[in-house]
Amino acid sequence: MLFSLAFRNLARNFRRTLAMVLTIGIGTGALLVFKGFNVGIMNQYRDNTIHARYGHGQINMKGYHNSVYEKPWKHWIEDYGSLKENLSKVPGVKLLFPRVNFFSLLTNGEMNISGKGQGVDGKAEFSFFNTLNIVEGKNLSNEKEGIILGKGLARALNAKIGDRITVLGSTIYGSMNAVDTYVTGIFHTGSKEFDDSVFRIQLDLAHLLLDTKKVESVSLGMKGLGLWKNIEDFVADNDIDLESIPFHVLDKVYYQHSVDWLDAQFGVIQIIILVIVILGIFNTVSTSILERRQEVGNLRANGESRIEVLKLFSNEGFLVGVFGAIFGIVVVYGINLSFLKDGILMPPAPGLTRQFHVKIELQEWMAVQTFIIGTVTSFVATFLASLRVINQKISDLLRSV
Amino acid sequence: MDTIFSCQDLTFSYSFGNVNIEALRGVSMDFQKGKFYCLSGPSGSGKTTFLNVLGLIEDIQGGDIEFEGKRFRNLKEEDKNYIRRNQVGFIFQHFNLFPVLSAEENIEFFLVRQGVPKKERKDLVHKALKDVGLWDHRDKRPLEMSGGQRQRVAVARALTKSPLVIIGDEPTASLDQKTGKEIVNLLKNLSDEYGSSIILSSHDTMVHEFAEELVILKDGRLT
Repeated sequence: MLFSLAFRNLARNFRRTLAMVLTIGIGTGALLVFKGFNVGIMNQYRDNTIHARYGHGQINMKGYHNSVYEKPWKHWIEDYGSLKENLSKVPGVKLLFPRVNFFSLLTNGEMNISGKGQGVDGKAEFSFFNTLNIVEGKNLSNEKEGIILGKGLARALNAKIGDRITVLGSTIYGSMNAVDTYVTGIFHTGSKEFDDSVFRIQLDLAHLLLDTKKVESVSLGMKGLGLWKNIEDFVADNDIDLESIPFHVLDKVYYQHSVDWLDAQFGVIQIIILVIVILGIFNTVSTSILERRQEVGNLRANGESRIEVLKLFSNEGFLVGVFGAIFGIVVVYGINLSFLKDGILMPPAPGLTRQFHVKIELQEWMAVQTFIIGTVTSFVATFLASLRVINQKISDLLRSV
Repeated sequence: MDTIFSCQDLTFSYSFGNVNIEALRGVSMDFQKGKFYCLSGPSGSGKTTFLNVLGLIEDIQGGDIEFEGKRFRNLKEEDKNYIRRNQVGFIFQHFNLFPVLSAEENIEFFLVRQGVPKKERKDLVHKALKDVGLWDHRDKRPLEMSGGQRQRVAVARALTKSPLVIIGDEPTASLDQKTGKEIVNLLKNLSDEYGSSIILSSHDTMVHEFAEELVILKDGRLT
């Protein structure tokens, strides 16, 4: 009957109850939106990272990633052919992207600019690295002598699509070498540092320039995010001198730090929202309970213990919490399916220069979590507000009108 | 006749900053079971304080009260709750009904809390509603009833607990003379049937006429 009384007490002052439900609803909704937004950003950023540059991870010789060598090619993968054959058998592997990185000079006959070259399998990469933003021309695909330039690098060279560019470098044996290319595309990843220095040519052309058949690393495109574990198991199970590095370690500075930073920020904002909701509910419930002091006195005079009275008010707080949380969650889902269907246009993320759309990615666990938080918050706020009243003397409570 | 309350040298004072007001100054008296008492006296004479101390609404400051073999001084909180819930019924000047419950539910509420089984509870409530003449108004909420009807609900609520004593602080003060008389008459008749003692406070001479013993307080002392 305490529960029934609690329910009816809520209906007694509809406007106040509505205010409390809205306070909880807005708080719960804000938390849910923020969680969904946070996950949306993370997923967007993760997909960007995977499909723009890193794939799901890479394989290189053990210790190579964290080392600096005078002659790095001595630590490159010798027999890519057999590695390719073995990796292709690992469940979940979709595509392999052998790569070499090298420093060289780019010249168009008028000026020389140093750049960081990547020798890639253009055809394979074309199908996977779909978020590489080509602003002019097209991505490197089947063009044997093609080159794509970062936007900043292209601007420095004053290069246009179809222009001839000579790539000058040294072979692994130390002699000078050069290959001729023509500009097929200009890309813009959003990372200024990357766009100002990086260019890509076909792996075969890079091998010709460097006079080697070795590959520095093999990036991998998996069929799913969770399948990277298969690669780790493959490296661990086979006694080979390789190491596997997932994308979030490869891009630790931007991706992983951004994830950590946003997570920490989310924690702080969540606490702020909770405090605001608790204070809002506390204030509204306090007013309501103060007006009902005589009722509390009546209950106490008729033998109800402080705990029982506390239960009555806590039941009310719990009910408000349930209604408010459900309201907030339903409204957020509704808005997300209508107004925010296409996501929110965001300014460039840290380290990037390109805008992107973030979808609010709501997941069931978020709804459950925010429902619990909203309900518990209301319960706690009501509990705290009730404590002030139930500790008053019964005679004082009965005297209040 | 058995004693229900035995009060010895009760003292009670209120402090308002540096001002100390003595509401009870050594009150000693016995209340007999089944009798109708009325406390009277001018405003500030200590009537309400005396009732509050008897009903365990105020803690004893000085002296002691013996009730059913228990001494109120140093009584545990759960024992106080038990007595208030099962052995004492209260009737207040301002009725103190739950506005969201119907007349029937208001009467039933504390029976539920007492743990009275549903069938027995329903029987008790229906009898009480008929006894106080509110059977046809049983579904009305307090705000839909007159002051007299509300006080009848309060009387029924107090009586259905089958308390040893009913304590009422100015129960007719918010009612007109005619209605007040009906309520006190009803209370007296039903208390005989339900076997409860009655201790009311009132300035009203009409109420005094119903009392079997009039207790006069003045400046916190019995006269």
